[in-house]
Amino acid sequence: MITLLKNGKLYDPTHGKDGVIQDIYIRDGRIVAKPPNSEKINQTFDLSGKVAMAGAIDMHSHIGGGKVNIARMMLPEFQKTRNYSEPEAHVCTPNCSHNATPNTTDTGFRYIEMGYTAAFEPAIMPINARQAHLEMGDTPMIDKGGYAMLGNDDYFLRLLSNKTDQKAINDYVAWTLHATQAIGIKVVNPGGISAFKFNQRRLNLDENNVHYQVTPREILKSLSRAVNELGIAKPLHVHCNNLGAAGNYETTLNTMDASDSVPMHLTHIQFHSYGTEGDKKFSSAAAQIAEALNKNKHITADVGQILFGQTVTASGDSMMQHLNAKHANPRKSVIMDVECDAGCGVVPFKYRDQNYVNALQWAIGLELFLSVEDPWRIFLTTDHPNGAPFTSYPHLIRLLMDKGFRNEAFAKLNLDAQAMSNLTSLTREYTLYEIAIMTRAGAAKLIGLNNCGHLGVDAQADITVYTEQADYEKMFAKPDYVFKNGELVVKDGVVTKVVWGATHVTKPAFDIGVEKGLSEYFEKYHTIQLDNFKISDNEIAEDGRGKIMTHESKTRAN
Amino acid sequence: MTSANLKPNQIAATCPACSLLCDDVLLENNQNKLRILNNNCAKSVTFFEQNLSGHIPQSAGKPASLVQALTRAAQILKQAQQPLFSGLSTDVTGFRSLFTLAEKTDAGLQHMNAASMARNLAVLQSTGWQTTTLTEVKNRADVIVCIGTDVVSHNPRFFERFVWVKNAMFTDANKREIIYIGENIDTKAGISPNGTHSSLLTCRASDLPEITLTLRALVVGKHLKAQAVAGIKISDLQIVADKLKQAKYAVLAWVAKDLDFPHAELTIQNITETVAILNQSSSSHSGRAAALPLGGSDGDTSANNANTWLSGLALNDENVEHDCVVWVNSFSIEKLPPKSDKPLIVFGNLNCQFETAPDVFIPIATPGLDCSGTLFRVDSSVILPLKKVSENNLPTLSEVVSEIEKLI
Repeated sequence: MITLLKNGKLYDPTHGKDGVIQDIYIRDGRIVAKPPNSEKINQTFDLSGKVAMAGAIDMHSHIGGGKVNIARMMLPEFQKTRNYSEPEAHVCTPNCSHNATPNTTDTGFRYIEMGYTAAFEPAIMPINARQAHLEMGDTPMIDKGGYAMLGNDDYFLRLLSNKTDQKAINDYVAWTLHATQAIGIKVVNPGGISAFKFNQRRLNLDENNVHYQVTPREILKSLSRAVNELGIAKPLHVHCNNLGAAGNYETTLNTMDASDSVPMHLTHIQFHSYGTEGDKKFSSAAAQIAEALNKNKHITADVGQILFGQTVTASGDSMMQHLNAKHANPRKSVIMDVECDAGCGVVPFKYRDQNYVNALQWAIGLELFLSVEDPWRIFLTTDHPNGAPFTSYPHLIRLLMDKGFRNEAFAKLNLDAQAMSNLTSLTREYTLYEIAIMTRAGAAKLIGLNNCGHLGVDAQADITVYTEQADYEKMFAKPDYVFKNGELVVKDGVVTKVVWGATHVTKPAFDIGVEKGLSEYFEKYHTIQLDNFKISDNEIAEDGRGKIMTHESKTRAN
Repeated sequence: MTSANLKPNQIAATCPACSLLCDDVLLENNQNKLRILNNNCAKSVTFFEQNLSGHIPQSAGKPASLVQALTRAAQILKQAQQPLFSGLSTDVTGFRSLFTLAEKTDAGLQHMNAASMARNLAVLQSTGWQTTTLTEVKNRADVIVCIGTDVVSHNPRFFERFVWVKNAMFTDANKREIIYIGENIDTKAGISPNGTHSSLLTCRASDLPEITLTLRALVVGKHLKAQAVAGIKISDLQIVADKLKQAKYAVLAWVAKDLDFPHAELTIQNITETVAILNQSSSSHSGRAAALPLGGSDGDTSANNANTWLSGLALNDENVEHDCVVWVNSFSIEKLPPKSDKPLIVFGNLNCQFETAPDVFIPIATPGLDCSGTLFRVDSSVILPLKKVSENNLPTLSEVVSEIEKLI
């Protein structure tokens, strides 16, 4: 069966297509070359006057696993805010769940209704990976995947403090990817989550974890080297030390420096771009961070934009979340130490445009977007739900594409914050092509999804069709059509067919000898059997809905 | 224990009899008769060594074919305006299928442990908490206070597996300090391997609100005029407070089911807020502290988690109006369906007990015994697969539910 999408205006940065009118042919879930005239076209959609892009990919969104579920459990009030009336918070799609912690069904529906066809959970705690996959397995419509958290687990910290050779660390990292069914590796507050369990309350880049006598810099070097040498496409995903703290931009700059020219991704960088200028000792350091990003071509970042309204922050960073818990709104929080593996902190937040810090955080995020020159190295995220629910992406896209709209919103902010931001002097407006890079082509390239994020032959036929409008928020909130694996699943912004996406993973080769040390460790110190730690392919695929897609990793010489 | 070292009739299994989910259990299967070879406890023996023969569905108290029983169950559900799915003793897979059926039939969901689950949930939703998990306890805890519980009545191997261990990464396990507060407490398990006894402050369960509040005040550093509270000397409680403050990693544990008195959530909150005070960096405490809710059974943590991600809301203790009851009981055969004059459908372990015959009884396979499954451990962070360890041709809960869905 062949489906033809006729006369669409294509934005396909992978192939350099910037608004080219072209036909797309789909067969068996894939984009194919124009078939011979003898072949029958079964279905034709006329895209004349419409914009076609690949399905969008959210490369960082907390959609599954323990901390998200704790947030849901702790915040029943979120489920009752169906008539929520803060327009800044997010844009309503039809049947909007109106909250930061949608259930798994709503998560899939809200994503696909906006034309997103994949989302990646960026903080899978290895011991909790089974839960993350259970939840993602119950999330319909979209493809999924995740990054496994390392760097605060006692097994790794023991290896590092014992000066074990890099090969053993590489094997452990590769083993973890297999065991957790992940596609990337993340480190959160390197060494800090562990340090908090030993009662340290802050950890700077060159400060020792009191027990292990290793520094975050050493942890970052070891893990980024492992990721690079194993040939994992996705660079090490780094949530820097000192999240949210005034003056933390120096840590962020030093972290870039610690990368030693090995590719590294700095996540929700907005939360790590704060200076200490001004009366309130809190200022924007977006200019310094953007300058460093522009210079260091091996560094990528996603923004973690905040938008005003009620949300909840769910993070592995128990150390900093414990510190932030005093700002909780509503006033409650969960902080956990977990399994000598990691930690977790869930703190509800209400970002307010009249609050100096919140208003400046909003401006800092946008300053970063507009000052980083290369759209292939900066990604559109709100760190869902930490900065805002992902349902606010259309609003955020309009802020980036529409200078007038942005400046109007800026004029409503806390006046002291306005005085501390140069946002109105940044006149850049993102183009559709650049949006397609940030949300499609760039994200796919970053994660190593060769068949997603573009409209070339052999691509997975995940395609979103919009009608171009002056109001980009409206345009991106409600696509005309969304095709998932070649099937029409959304029409006029409403789901018309329920489908189940795949789970993307990578499985680099490793020496199985790594299990000797692990077995001894599990036997002595853990509380489950090593075999039960590992998630089999079957667990994801056996219900007939899930499917694993393994992506290649190319071992690099060290 | 890897499968490579096992004899052909031996199986390494995970035990769902309590929510510790011990996965170091070794079973022997002789012609479908199971025996536990090591690492057993009273609960696991009862569970694994139960008799698994004879399992005919019943309809109106009489033996029936599976098709007859399914048809009758579907009829009852179709006629009902608002069924109540209760018990919910099953694993994640079973719960997911019940959730879908509940959506289709407009049914309420109530776990057999709903009342005790609600006590913890009330605290989570009011102030939140700072908690830890079992591997952290095993490797870090140097002071453990068990409040209103001996733990072992619910989690028999708690001390064996997580406290008196040979190896702990960050503390000398043998020197751990165990303190109990409460009544009818079996303190045997709290004696260290070198014979050191635990401390016990005896009080009635109903006095725990006052005692935990006093302990919280002492940890804050308040000076109290009273000499005693509910029969316990303030000086004795001060000793506990001082030990908590001196600990490197203090753990305050409770079992919600044992706090069975009005407004027990306030007692739990006293415990969790004591932990929060100990963790303030400005406090005189030089270490860390963490709360540890224990107990749990019958897949309660699994049902709560799955309900939360599927619906967005935790599993509540809603005593809803209903006109028919579906009782699901996989793990605790002695637990009885709620008393009700409404039609009763039971999906359960073949040894399930009843006071009066249900309208329909369909025996189902038990996760971890005669079918595979997935369960959450009590600390919610660890999720373990359960194996099928014996053959029995019973349908699984999700198979039964999907057949019923077709008939409705």
